[in-house]
Amino acid sequence: MRLERSKEWWLARARQEGDAAVGAGLLAANPAVEQHGLEAQPAPAEETRIAFGRFVNLMRRRRGYSVEQLAEAACLEASELLVIEEDRHYVPQLRTVFELARTFEVPQQRLLQLAGLAVANDDGLRKEAVRFAARSESMQRLTSEESSALEAFVAVLSEQGPKRAR
Amino acid sequence: MTAKRTMTLNLTDAEMRALDELSARKDVSKTAVLRQALRLYQAVEARVERGEKLLFENEATKEKAELMLV
Amino acid sequence: MVDVSTIYLVDGATGSEVRAELRDSIEDAQLVDWQLKWRPAHDALIRELIQKGVSRQQWPQSSHWDWRRKAAQVQGLLAFRGFCVLADGETQGMAQVELTKSARAPVQAGKPIVYIEYLEAAPWNSPELGRAPRYRGVGTALLSAAIALSVEEGFKGRIGLHSLPQAEDFYRRRGMVDLGPDPDPGHQHLRYFEMTAEQARAFLTEE
Repeated sequence: MRLERSKEWWLARARQEGDAAVGAGLLAANPAVEQHGLEAQPAPAEETRIAFGRFVNLMRRRRGYSVEQLAEAACLEASELLVIEEDRHYVPQLRTVFELARTFEVPQQRLLQLAGLAVANDDGLRKEAVRFAARSESMQRLTSEESSALEAFVAVLSEQGPKRAR
Repeated sequence: MTAKRTMTLNLTDAEMRALDELSARKDVSKTAVLRQALRLYQAVEARVERGEKLLFENEATKEKAELMLV
Repeated sequence: MVDVSTIYLVDGATGSEVRAELRDSIEDAQLVDWQLKWRPAHDALIRELIQKGVSRQQWPQSSHWDWRRKAAQVQGLLAFRGFCVLADGETQGMAQVELTKSARAPVQAGKPIVYIEYLEAAPWNSPELGRAPRYRGVGTALLSAAIALSVEEGFKGRIGLHSLPQAEDFYRRRGMVDLGPDPDPGHQHLRYFEMTAEQARAFLTEE
């Protein structure tokens, strides 16, 4: 299909467009933004979500990954990982949590609870999450304190997993 | 414009009437009706091939009827 | 065989004219640009927005479309067609349309339309961060292509689309009918817009 119009026709329309956003299509919409706006599910405890973001950040740095490298390894969008690490209000996609659990080799169910996508049925995890979030600070390099906080928390995640037949 | 080839189509009176009706109702030429039919048929076949079903749902009763394409 | 039309965009920084191409296909070069240029640019934009503390509602959307998967899904299907705008050797915008949908606006309900399933300008042409886009006119060029295809297919220029919230004004100003938020819950409350045959004729007129 060819569309023949004069140079003036195109330039006049381009100038009319100005700085307008032009995106269209359901598939162009970012479901994460909508999900956040809809508040469809009860807001998960903020402290566990802070811990989730910190957890992803530390695990990534422990492996020496950049955000892009983790995105590649986990088949995820770098932009979503950035949001997870930096925005405590963000509720990630289910698939994202599954991929992260797989990549970091921790139990899916516990990570889902941490991310606020499953209800934590014990107070233990919440307390541990709060302690973990408090002990870990955002820094460029993983300090030995952060490392030990992370080790301890990974152990908690793995041990306290629901007693289910595997 | 993409090059197009011409072919002769032999239709019965009833088929021609159906084509005329669709052309009028859809406000497109008879050629456009047939090209649309081809797009739809191909899209449906591609999905059936993938193991999907073609269902019609009655909006009021939510009743579903499967259209068999064998 | 890809048809190429010469179009003109406006340079966002200098306001000067830029010769560009409108192509009636999405090819491998576009998928490569999307992967190697669009996505890193989008991620950099998100990083900057986080640093500036811009609220999530104001972020650009359209980052979750996986072009490679989609391109494979629609390959060979007559119901789907793609367009892209090329300038400076790079993909500046892409659109994919579907030809099997029907109009909803009362004046043309049930008649076939070209439905814009997806339309996006490259991240550097998006207006977030209050920065001038590299090129202006990419969205209009893709919209014009969809209307022209609708004419060529005998659909008289009728088109339809679901606008992203931040683009609604753009489509209203292009003379489209706003039919309100889509009632189907699967459509994330995006507003549905349609162009009638008459509006399309006005749009394409050479003044």
